[in-house]
Amino acid sequence: MIDGINSLASGAGIGGASAPKSTAPAGGTNFSDMLSKSIDEVSRLQQDASQAVDNITTGKSEDVDGVMTAVEKSDLAFKTLLAIRAKLMDAYEEIKGMPI
Amino acid sequence: MFDILDMGASGLTAQRTRLDTIAENLANVYTTHNAKGEKEAFKRRFVVLGSGRADDKAKAGVHVQQIKLDPAPPIPKYEPGNPDADANGYVNYPNIDMSIEYINALEASRAYEANVTMMEVSKSMINASLRLIA
Amino acid sequence: MFERLLNQTNAPVLERMLKFTAARQKLLAENVVNISTPGYKQKDLSLEKFQGMLRERIEQRDHGGLGSTSFDDLEAQLENPQRGMLFHDGSNRSMEQLMTDQAKNALMHNFVIELLRKQFQTMEMALKDRPV
Repeated sequence: MIDGINSLASGAGIGGASAPKSTAPAGGTNFSDMLSKSIDEVSRLQQDASQAVDNITTGKSEDVDGVMTAVEKSDLAFKTLLAIRAKLMDAYEEIKGMPI
Repeated sequence: MFDILDMGASGLTAQRTRLDTIAENLANVYTTHNAKGEKEAFKRRFVVLGSGRADDKAKAGVHVQQIKLDPAPPIPKYEPGNPDADANGYVNYPNIDMSIEYINALEASRAYEANVTMMEVSKSMINASLRLIA
Repeated sequence: MFERLLNQTNAPVLERMLKFTAARQKLLAENVVNISTPGYKQKDLSLEKFQGMLRERIEQRDHGGLGSTSFDDLEAQLENPQRGMLFHDGSNRSMEQLMTDQAKNALMHNFVIELLRKQFQTMEMALKDRPV
């Protein structure tokens, strides 16, 4: 979806206005890379939390506070991702509604 | 899990055993015959505590190693009219000092309370970390 | 389909643990009630053994395919624990140990409930598409 917006922007020649968001600074990452990395990170945090919960229920580990923080971290990361997704959807709707 | 509560429980059991032996000593302050009926002054009992839990010495805690008899000799009192008196008119009474037993009882009950407080604090700490995700 | 969806998460393991802690609480209460009953043998469910069974079943689930293992048939065994000081009538009652076991069991129960609630909340959040 991000690539679509990028191509739309460059195709319509609005490159100047949207360039800071879509083109990468020299040697850096662009927004779509960052977003997919974040999704992987959320997935990893959730798997860590799930593993921690399994460990403590079966008695493999005794770290109660560790499990709590892992679960809370994965929850916050997930909520952040959902908020980003909501913002992106709103931005897309707004751009879609723009008269050209 | 929650090993700290088991530690506290072992402390409680040990202190209660101490109190039990003190109660037995106080009850037998003037006992001059043993269980078989022979003339023998009651020997004071005291508790020897060891570290490590009773069921697993490697785990942290305390356990009663043994209940020993005090080897101190009995206290002879001059009572020639007493049927328990020996040839010289002395009766052997147990070597139990009531004030020492009272102080030991106080100490044991304070230690019991301290253990209970420690367990309450641990429980509320664990409950507080449960509220973290509530 | 919905059962399989739920089984992907920690939910089945946590549910079994809840059943275990609830059953154990009842046994411990019975032990406390019968503390002065002569000749009464204490009953208990071993937490370590149950956790071992859970561990095995989780290994099975991880190595097997998705949705291949179910946790529904895990049952803890009743036993008469032998630890503690023995009295002359052969019982090993200790009020302190029983109350401590009850406290630990209740803490475990509350802990598992919170984790389960969090699990369901996360799934609801994903379904609703909005951060709850």
